[in-house]
Amino acid sequence: MVPALLQAATAATQLEGSFKVGPAIILIAILVLFVMVGIVFRAKDTNDYYAAGRSISKVGSGMAIASNWMSAASFLGMAALMYGSGYHGLSYVVGWTGGYVLLLILMAGQIRKYGKYTAADFIGDRYYSQSLRAVGAIIAILISIAYCVGQFGGIGLMFKWILGIDYVLAVIIGGTVVLAYTLISGMLGVTKNMQIQYVIIIISFLIPLFILNFKFDYFWLLPQIGYGSVVSDAVSGIPLAESEQLFNSLGHQFATVPVPEFAMPWDPATGKTFFQWIAIAFSLMIGTAGLPHVIQRFYVVPKASDARWSVVWGLFFICILYWSAPAYAAFGKILSANPEVGKLEADAIVVYTAQLGNIHPLIVGLLAAGGVSAAFSTVSGLLVAGSSAFAHDLYVKVINPNAKPKNQLLAARIGTVIMAIIVTAIALAKLALIGQLVAVAFSLAGCTIFPLFLLGIWWSGSNKQGAIAGLIAGGLVSVIALTYFIAGKMGTTLPAHEFISYWLGAWYFAIFGAPLAIIVNIIVSKLTKETPVEIRKFLIEQVHT
Amino acid sequence: MKDSENGYHISLFKPTTERARFNRNLIFWLASIWFIAIFGFQIALRVLQKPTPEPAFLVFENVWENVSNGSASTPEYQEFGQSVLSVLGKIAITDDEKTALSNALSWSLYSTYPDSLQSGLVSNISEFESLKEGITNITDENYVLEKTKLAKTLGPKLGLSELDVRTTILPLEVTAVNIEGMTETTRSQLPGIMKKYLVHNQSFLTDARFLGFPFHYFYTAFFLLVLFVGLCLVYCIRSDRRNEILGIKD
Repeated sequence: MVPALLQAATAATQLEGSFKVGPAIILIAILVLFVMVGIVFRAKDTNDYYAAGRSISKVGSGMAIASNWMSAASFLGMAALMYGSGYHGLSYVVGWTGGYVLLLILMAGQIRKYGKYTAADFIGDRYYSQSLRAVGAIIAILISIAYCVGQFGGIGLMFKWILGIDYVLAVIIGGTVVLAYTLISGMLGVTKNMQIQYVIIIISFLIPLFILNFKFDYFWLLPQIGYGSVVSDAVSGIPLAESEQLFNSLGHQFATVPVPEFAMPWDPATGKTFFQWIAIAFSLMIGTAGLPHVIQRFYVVPKASDARWSVVWGLFFICILYWSAPAYAAFGKILSANPEVGKLEADAIVVYTAQLGNIHPLIVGLLAAGGVSAAFSTVSGLLVAGSSAFAHDLYVKVINPNAKPKNQLLAARIGTVIMAIIVTAIALAKLALIGQLVAVAFSLAGCTIFPLFLLGIWWSGSNKQGAIAGLIAGGLVSVIALTYFIAGKMGTTLPAHEFISYWLGAWYFAIFGAPLAIIVNIIVSKLTKETPVEIRKFLIEQVHT
Repeated sequence: MKDSENGYHISLFKPTTERARFNRNLIFWLASIWFIAIFGFQIALRVLQKPTPEPAFLVFENVWENVSNGSASTPEYQEFGQSVLSVLGKIAITDDEKTALSNALSWSLYSTYPDSLQSGLVSNISEFESLKEGITNITDENYVLEKTKLAKTLGPKLGLSELDVRTTILPLEVTAVNIEGMTETTRSQLPGIMKKYLVHNQSFLTDARFLGFPFHYFYTAFFLLVLFVGLCLVYCIRSDRRNEILGIKD
């Protein structure tokens, strides 16, 4: 065996591996490219900063949606979930794509027609309440923070792998770089960058898959289909006799005992149940339609039909990656089947699979850089959404209505820095897998923002009182679920801990929280004073015409 | 006139204009397809599933009683060891489960040896364990050599051929610790561990193959995503056409 490959394979078992020159150069080149694009297309005023001057085409916006969406959770986390819990991981694939259908048919065009900048803007106007606007802004910030935590974890893992440094230092360095870039560029730069990032993300993700399929003798021309036989082989096992010439980079044959638990639904070996599969898929789907940074993407297209078509393009671009991610889990399962490989960090399984598959170190480096790009593109969008909520919805609309545009931009930037510091501090605690951490943000959005948008757009009877009551109900479920989750992580047992933790799991509490918030909203709205006629008139004449 | 009577009301369920009616019907159709395709299929999987054991579990069940009361024959110990090794080859097992499984495997191997050769087996395994602890690189030449030698020695004792993938992992899973007997913890945990890892929820939907995939896996991981894109495409095309007919400009 080639010595260089042995070295690479050894590194696969140790995240504390040494500094990798090639991957580091690729990463730095990509980051410099991002910053340059950010500078060239930087925000010139508040309109640029929040909504990119409403000048992005539908294909470009679709690409930006995909890039914004394809975070570390998609790039690294999904394969990790499938690697660890098999078919259960597919609930995340379905949840993170199926939600776009809801988003499109229920909201995209209407949101654009409503013509606001941020999610809190919509909530404040539709429910004619400054308090709700402020609460909406705070929720948007909390969601952005929860979402960013997983991304910073992913950035930390990849920086750690590439630079060969400690995880804590890697998170701090990675967080600083993404913060600097977001501050320089704002959303116009971010949107342009997102299109470039999409190309880098998808190319870096697909190249190793073509090679893996080719090397291990599967149908490589379309790896998204070719890996199907890898899944079946994992289920039935691969005898040594069938893989005499096929080795991983540690010298183990491409063979395994049967592992049907990798593909069979809610397998007892994974500890996951049917209810959890359904609950996660449902929560992620409605969360998708309630995420402020996703909703905000519809404000940057010129008209409502562009908003609709950008969802189609965005979803298609997203699916290219989502069709491919399970392949990494399947190859990873077999390539790491030998006990000598040891327990790998699941969130880095995409990179380890490429390493174990004997792929050239520079291509593996490109893959890792793609992971960083995925996290960067999402984090920048989230920080802009969060800082917009802070500056536009809290500072200008509530605290200082006479603020000059210059002060508004400054407030947005201060908000970005504060958020980045909070996220870094939480990310260092490594509370769960990347995908799971991100799922918390989805459930939070599903319990709070989704019901307000759904009823706000489709039922003029939903009024301020109903919105407040619904928000309290959804918020309460969220607080209970997260309290039990955090208590569990701290080793504290609360009353009925096991029961609550199962039925209101931190990754899927929206399965109960969202319907409850909607029902409470409807009941209270029916019992209280009707929505003002000007709001209803606006809905009919502007949003639904 | 009361506000509720002035006509300015929007409800998805009670559309008041032609466009709203069209929109409602389109949304209901697409949402129904979406819902049934996702959740209907998973419910079907759940309803149709049957706990299906791997062959290794059937072997385990056949010999467990004799093995646990110490009256097993050498072939039974071999079959028992093989079935335990089938679980040890799965990387998802926890550390506690691994300890119990390794103990069961090591003891079954020990039991296949005549009394006079058992101490030799223990020292062979101990030496390899010491060597394993001392290496920094798993490609160390001496380590690989000793591992291969041990696999060749132990594999046939457990009735495994050289081409059986379990032979290659056998040296890595046996341990000299508690090799002379199965601990009480192992005895109590083992049936549960074997059932957990060797019995799966299967049906014709999981057993059928499509484009190389188990069918249910293809459906969920690939087809559903195609369907989502298709539903979005249909919505956009139909909405644009309807707007054109009604002369509505965005």
